[in-house]
Amino acid sequence: MLDQHSPLGGDARFETTGLTMREAGGFMLIQYSGPERVLLRELSVEAAFGKNEKSEGRTFFRINSAQIWVIGKELETRHSSITNLSSSRCRIALFGEKARAVLQVCAAVDFSRASFATGAYVMTGIHHTPVLVHCTGPESFHIYAMRSFALSVWEWLIDAASGL
Amino acid sequence: MSFRRLTSGGRLDRDKSVKFRFNGKRLKGLSGDTLASALLANDRLLVGRSFKYHRPRGIVGAGVEEPNALFTIGKDGTEQVNVIGTCLELTENLRAKSQNAWPALSFDLRAVNQLFAPIFGAGFYYKTFMGPRLKSWMFYEPHIRHAAGLGKTGTQGTAARHNTRNAFSDVLIIGSGPAGLAAALALAGTGVSVTLAEQDFELGGSILSSQNENLLAWREATLATLNRAENLRLLTRATVQGLFDGNQAIIAIGGTMVESLRARTIIFATGAVERPLVFDDNDLPGVMLASALRTYANRFALLPSKRCIIATNNDSAYETAFDLVTLGATVMIADERNGIAGELLAKSASLGVVVFAGSSIAAVAGKRRIEAVMLGGPHHVRLSCDLLGMSGGWSPLVHLTSQVGSKPQFNPSVQAFVPGPLATGHYVAGACNGSFGTLAAINTGQAQASAVLAALGKKAINKTDVPPLEADRGLAILPSVSPSKSRFAFVDFQNDVTAKDIAQARDEGYTNIEHLKRYTTLGMGTDQGKTSNINALAMLANLRDVPISQVGTTTFRPPFTPLTVGAIVGRSLGQHFRPTRRSPLHDWHEQNGATMIDAGLWKRAWYYNWAGKTPHEAYLKEMELVRHNVGLSDVSTLGKIDVQGKDAAEFLNRVYVNGFAKLAVGRARYGVMLNDDGLVLDDGTTSRISETKFYMTTTTAQAGEVMSWLEYLLQCHWPDLDVHVTSLTDEWGGMALSGPNARQVLERAFPEEDLSDSALPYMAVKDIEYEKVPIRILRLSFSGELGYEIHCPANFTQGLWEHVLKMGASAGLKPYGLEALASLRIEKGHVAGLELDHRNSLDDLGLGKMASSKKSFVGDTLRMREDMMAPERWSLVGLELLEPGKKLRGGAILFAAKDEIKGHGRGYITSVTWSTDLQIYVALGLYQGGLAHENEEIIAAFPLKNEKVRLRIVSPHFIDREGTRLNA
Amino acid sequence: MSEFRYGGDATKKRPGPGAGGLKVWHEYVFTFDNPKGPHEEFWQHTLGCRQWFKLKRNTATNEILGGGA
Repeated sequence: MLDQHSPLGGDARFETTGLTMREAGGFMLIQYSGPERVLLRELSVEAAFGKNEKSEGRTFFRINSAQIWVIGKELETRHSSITNLSSSRCRIALFGEKARAVLQVCAAVDFSRASFATGAYVMTGIHHTPVLVHCTGPESFHIYAMRSFALSVWEWLIDAASGL
Repeated sequence: MSFRRLTSGGRLDRDKSVKFRFNGKRLKGLSGDTLASALLANDRLLVGRSFKYHRPRGIVGAGVEEPNALFTIGKDGTEQVNVIGTCLELTENLRAKSQNAWPALSFDLRAVNQLFAPIFGAGFYYKTFMGPRLKSWMFYEPHIRHAAGLGKTGTQGTAARHNTRNAFSDVLIIGSGPAGLAAALALAGTGVSVTLAEQDFELGGSILSSQNENLLAWREATLATLNRAENLRLLTRATVQGLFDGNQAIIAIGGTMVESLRARTIIFATGAVERPLVFDDNDLPGVMLASALRTYANRFALLPSKRCIIATNNDSAYETAFDLVTLGATVMIADERNGIAGELLAKSASLGVVVFAGSSIAAVAGKRRIEAVMLGGPHHVRLSCDLLGMSGGWSPLVHLTSQVGSKPQFNPSVQAFVPGPLATGHYVAGACNGSFGTLAAINTGQAQASAVLAALGKKAINKTDVPPLEADRGLAILPSVSPSKSRFAFVDFQNDVTAKDIAQARDEGYTNIEHLKRYTTLGMGTDQGKTSNINALAMLANLRDVPISQVGTTTFRPPFTPLTVGAIVGRSLGQHFRPTRRSPLHDWHEQNGATMIDAGLWKRAWYYNWAGKTPHEAYLKEMELVRHNVGLSDVSTLGKIDVQGKDAAEFLNRVYVNGFAKLAVGRARYGVMLNDDGLVLDDGTTSRISETKFYMTTTTAQAGEVMSWLEYLLQCHWPDLDVHVTSLTDEWGGMALSGPNARQVLERAFPEEDLSDSALPYMAVKDIEYEKVPIRILRLSFSGELGYEIHCPANFTQGLWEHVLKMGASAGLKPYGLEALASLRIEKGHVAGLELDHRNSLDDLGLGKMASSKKSFVGDTLRMREDMMAPERWSLVGLELLEPGKKLRGGAILFAAKDEIKGHGRGYITSVTWSTDLQIYVALGLYQGGLAHENEEIIAAFPLKNEKVRLRIVSPHFIDREGTRLNA
Repeated sequence: MSEFRYGGDATKKRPGPGAGGLKVWHEYVFTFDNPKGPHEEFWQHTLGCRQWFKLKRNTATNEILGGGA
């Protein structure tokens, strides 16, 4: 077996009052591309912008008019282009009562409870790198950071937390 | 003692004494004091020396407008300079030092500058320090720098942590005076989110300087409501330093937080500041703003000890006079106007305040502080005093409205610039709009809050209460006519600009306000001219005999008050300055003897310690390994792009100069792409994985550029093409296995696969699986030796790397780094980043033959411009060093053998390496006329190190021209 | 630090592949109206969805006057 390695060194964990961070790896991320109506039909989703869609154990994120990300097992399609991106992102789980405040330090997006509720996601930048931030619960979030920047983003988040 | 501290009154906690130091001396103040009020309480009137003339200076104001009372705060090494003492809250153990005086405040040797005042006029620096050569200014500059200036910063790194955060609000209210508080009160409980930012440590603005019980009670009641309201966020010690597009406010909070707030609407309640009168020696310590005297009396319980004179040209100063008298001071008023309102004269009489009408200040007397004034006008009297309060009018603080595009306009009735037309979503209330009365402020604050609610689609709630106050008085201001010739009548205290300077500048033709500013340095200090701008404009208008509105204002720029660089930097320092980009093999490199180097944002393995202790030693060893055996290098940083779709081949055909439409599945091809301007953008190798799927690589440096470029073409101009591009740079890692024994190692690594020469010929690509992991093997070579690139998903790259190294161990396989990787290709004549700098054409790089004549491609038209095809262009050559023992340097300038070594020469060296094959130094370069000069001897000059060496021009392909090694 | 990348004038018509001579391409690549006022231009959401889009922006005030696909 070829060993797998994480950009965060494996078993990454950070804890402080009101905040826990750890890597939530081991996920499949497949991108589907195609003309909008073809895409939506083949994946059987509506995939509105800004809110995840869940179906049959998969989570769908609408990326742009011609792209959808699927977290979960690969789906059979005939006309859409499929690109496996499972190694390209590092998923960081962030939870606790300080989680929203940490995110609010890091990005110019309104992460308040009212504006960023469970199921919402946004594509923005943290520490000058592209990330997708997903609200998975009232006080929990997933951050999909680029693999090559993952450690930098992780350290930036910890630094932001230490200023709270 | 100019001031005495009253035993009661003021907004001070009498039970909390606060210890602090000023110029080393231990002093005491009270909780609630500012540094300035505490200094006045300790009779420290002299607080600094002026910028140019080193004149003794005292505190002038009580707020952000203060020009003189700037201090250096903190301990040696971590000092903060130019801190405004009138805004700084007095805290325990504060250490303050005065600035710009040496050796001591009371005995400043540089005050000798004053003797030269006659020649230190406007434009002094421009006119005086001109010499026959450029060197003159460079000689004088350090001396001038020593003689002038404000504070001296610490040289140690600060331990302070500067935090940042983002925030969002429906409404931002700037200022917590009566207008700001009234607006906030009207918005309390309405459901819209409100942020109120107040730069002072207490809320209330001008109310804090008032004696009026009703007003003070209103403030208390209002604050109680505001503190209970859930939709309000009240920030003190919060200065809105700048406003930017999209209603973004940068707010500096305390000394350790900068908030970037985005608001839907903004209510400007920034208030106004008083301006001085201009008369001779108006900078003598003890000459202050009248409103400051009122603040020091009412807020800080500091009263003029003996007699105080108020000089004014408007009604507002009478408030100060009456408040001071009520507290027990002796006050006289010198009013420049002849027509003074009856009620004011009556009240003055009843309070025992003598009023001299039609009287200005002709002169002041006093050595280090004011002792007497001489009145001008019908009453030629000399009045002894220990303080003089001056009121020349009021200037609304229009900095922030101006920053967001509202051009200030002049309101002659109040002799002030007020905000001009505002953008949608911006509202002004109170004194900053030229309504200087408290009732007007409260009413406009409420009105604007209602307007904001309407704009946000909410209903306004009931009108909130207004305190019972006397009707507002107008200003009734009579513009002063200042003496225009005096060289000690100060207009800008901070930069020592006088009335004479303004007259002189105008005489010399600098009549435009922008020129006046720069020629005299007026308004260019840390106070941005808060007390000087309007007086100067008025003087200029007067001298030019035009209305003030025609003179205009200069541009207001952030920050509003001085801001430390640390606050701007926030957390982006040290390792956090930029994000670091790491390859999937990063940890392995660090654990296995690699020295890392920065390549843009990436960290790459530069060389390994198995090969040597220095980069030079190591890269030679690593190169030898590759040329004679086999090495493994990390190429994960290369840009990789997934190109999929029915029209993928057509797309690549349009983008690359050479053909890709007919590339067979399982084959790779070297491609070059141009910009629309016909110059080379990037190169790479693209493989066809299936009929509709391609795997493109780019250079590391251009990966992002190329990605955006492809997306731009597809989305903006060719939406009809059925193609999707996705970056795979992070998804896949890759390694280059290079050297004569590469195949041996490859076959051992993947024993189940047929990787023979026939199964995987040069420029073929094969997708396999190893232990369920998808692997892509490309047979191509950057080094010029037999080579393969092995790519796999990044999660498995380290596992694969370790596996290959293990399988190659017996053959002597070792890793090689970036230095060797980049050097090997030079011998082969491959262009890379140093040649692909967007200034060169295909022909310049010797790649002209790649351009297809059968299809159109991006850049094909403009690359055919006459100048782009000229034979004398600088084009790619190989260079051999003819002088062993000498050095070849990248960037060296090339000259023909007979040229004078001067100027830009005929080209330059782009890349240099030691050639293990030829055992000499070789280089690639660009030379005028290129290979037309093959075999000629030329010179490379490196003036920075005074070096000159002889070279020969040769073909850029130093080794294996037939390609035998590649096809082995 | 921006999430977005500027892409230039969006009103210019790009000649199709193989079309337009030297003059047309020179005009397209090198000359710009550069108006002071409303300007229709391309932007890309680089730190996000990678979508290119059109925007109308006032070049003097930076006010956004509307977008488009």
